[in-house]
Order: sequence, then C-alpha cells, then structure tokens
Amino acid sequence: MPHTSSAPRLGDLERTLMEQLWDSAAHRPDGASVREVLEALPAERGLAYTTVMTVLDRLSKKGLVTRERDGRAWRYTPAGTRESLTAETMRATLDDASDRRATLLHFLDGATPEELDDLRAALSEVEQRRG
Amino acid sequence: MLALLLVLLAAVLAGVAPRLMARLVSFRRAPRAALVAWQAVSLAAVLAALSAAPAALSYLTELQTGRWVVLGLAAAVTLLVLGRLLLSGHRIGTRLRAARTRHRELVDVLATPEPVTQGERRADGIRVLDHATPTAYCLPGRRSRVVLTQGALAALPSDQLDAVLAHERAHLRGRHDLLIEYFTVLHHSVPGPVRSPEALREVRLLVEALADRAAVRASSPLATARALMALAQGQAPLATLGAGGDGTTAARMRLLAADPMPPVVVAGMYAYAGAVLVLPLALLWLAWR
Repeated sequence: MPHTSSAPRLGDLERTLMEQLWDSAAHRPDGASVREVLEALPAERGLAYTTVMTVLDRLSKKGLVTRERDGRAWRYTPAGTRESLTAETMRATLDDASDRRATLLHFLDGATPEELDDLRAALSEVEQRRG
Repeated sequence: MLALLLVLLAAVLAGVAPRLMARLVSFRRAPRAALVAWQAVSLAAVLAALSAAPAALSYLTELQTGRWVVLGLAAAVTLLVLGRLLLSGHRIGTRLRAARTRHRELVDVLATPEPVTQGERRADGIRVLDHATPTAYCLPGRRSRVVLTQGALAALPSDQLDAVLAHERAHLRGRHDLLIEYFTVLHHSVPGPVRSPEALREVRLLVEALADRAAVRASSPLATARALMALAQGQAPLATLGAGGDGTTAARMRLLAADPMPPVVVAGMYAYAGAVLVLPLALLWLAWR
C-alpha cells in the first residue's frame, strides 16, 4: 500500500501524544492541557502548539481521548488505559459476536481444544508428506 | 415461460448448486479456480433473478391474463432480490467500514510499527500489539495494516513468520475482503428458504487456502502448517469465546499435504464457471429474440 508522506507522520504523532497522555495519567488524573503535553515532549521534536492541539483534537474526534473544558483551554484524558484499549482491540479480533470474520482477515480462525487434536493429526500428515 | 425458467434457475443456483459444490472438497486443491466457479454461480443466480422481470416484459405485447400472472411473479422476484441486495449491501458495507476504521484507529495508537525481518529483507508496515496471545491478521481497505501480537512474534520462528506475513499480504493484495464482503451481502440477500450457508463458509475456506499458497511459496508447506499449529495452540484458551470450531483450520492443514489438482480438472472448473454464467444470459436473450 503506498503511503502519502503526511499520513504516517500524523499517525506517529497521534501515537506519541497518546503515549504521553498514558504516561502522565498517573500524576495528572484530571488530564493534561495542550501546553502541558507540549512541555512534556522532548524539545528536539520541535512541535508547534497548534500541531499538538490539532492532533489532540483528532484523537478526541476518534474517541480515543476525552476532553473537558478548563477555563479557556481543554484538558485531555485518554479514553481508556493502554491495557483496556488493547483488551478491546484483542476482543474485536478474537470474539465471534460481531462481523469479526469479515472485518479482519485472520491467519487463523481460532481452534477449540477439541480441534487441536485433529490439527495435530493433520500436521503429522504434512510432516510425513512434505517434511 | 422463460421468465419462470429464470426464476427457477435463480433458485437452483442459490439453493441447490452451493450444496452440491460444497461437497466437492477436492476442488479446494485448486482454490483459485474454485473461487472463480463460486463467483460465477453466485453472479449467475443474481443475473437470473434480475432478468426475470425484463424477460417477462418481452411478451406483454400480447395481453392475456396468464401472462400477467407470470409478469407479476417475475417482477416480484426481481424487485425483491434487487431491493435486498441494495439494502444488505449498504448495511453490511457501512458496518464493516465503521468497524475497520475503529479498529485501525486503535491499532495505530496502540501498536508499534516494527521492522520485522522477512527472509533477507526487512518488511515494513507491520504493527505489533503488546499482547501475549499469539495472533496475526490484516485490516483490509485503502489504508491496510498487517497486525501481529508480541505473542505471535514469540511463538513463530522466522520461516513460520514468513509464512504468516505472506499469507496476510496475499489477502491484502488479492482484496480477499471484497470477495468475502460480496458473499456476505449475497448470503443476507437471498431469501431464507433458498439461502445456503455453504457458499459463504466454503468461500471463506477457499480464500484462506489461496492465501496459504502464497505462504507456501514464501516458506514451505511444513512451515505454514507449523505456523497454523503454533497459533491455534496459543489461541486455544481463548477459542471458547466462540471463534473457531468449524474445522477450517484442519481442512487447510490437510490441503497443505494434498497434491495439486491435475490441470485438466482445473480447466474443467473454469469451463463450468463460464457455462454457468452464460446460462441466464442465454435465457434472457431467447426471451427478447
């Protein structure tokens, strides 16, 4: 898949800012302002205030962060811990309730413990014939 | 009468043919030709249903009561199928895209783009989720992603990882998602009594078998089979969630041991696909001749 030059960079920024928010969530339970996020980032990234604001705004539109007004500024909080969002992602990949099978294309459709025995027998067949 | 024949043909192609074709398991040894045949049958069924009304219209020139009944029936079938196709196409398409977008947004902030060495060269654009359950999948679409978990990286030696990555790339390159979406839409469009779940299940398996061939080319049948085993084992504790249980994985494993289909049979499968597709068109042509 060809990437335009800006798309992956924006994605990188989103991940960087999310990581920043996750890391600071412990000592800033009320969320962080754009200024605070910017100040916590390494200076060599050279990000502008407006860039950070735009990216945080995008993240909140995606529902990955929530924001609350604090005077004239917004305070941003991650919509879930990294662990809980990872769990949500994994659930979407492994449970069968939704259209999982059409949404994502898996290497493997899962196997029940009973199926494993059948698989082992099939594997030894492959080993004999193709090994 | 040709209109009724088209209605009958649609019902046979949607309800009977899939059941018979699903029994010919050896066709799975030629997954590409089999997928072409499945597409031909499904497309011919849709064409037959959609042609019924136009075919009936052709003899409206001589008005008789019996013919009005035929026209009514043919029009009902055509409109019903057309309506259901559009409706479920829209519903499923919207839902799938929304779910994929949500999933991609999560993956993009959660998973690190990790350079994974594949064979000699570095494979870019692979996202690694920090989770112990070994799994590998791809998110199809214009902004596609290949996703692995740390658990999968830990469970797979490099030749098996090559197989897995080649499999996922084959899905993306071949736009297998569109094929599955098409059959999912058809599945939900066909009226209950003639619907056959076999088609969708078989197409899913064939798509996997086709991607497995890419995996075999990138590694070997044995490495592909072992990768299947390793991931199945790692996911087994979670399979109780409902995933799996339909025997596809074992069927794929057996295909890795099977010999390729003789070319004559493959040619026959393509010929069958062509003939099936010509059938409704020929009937429609006869009606208007």
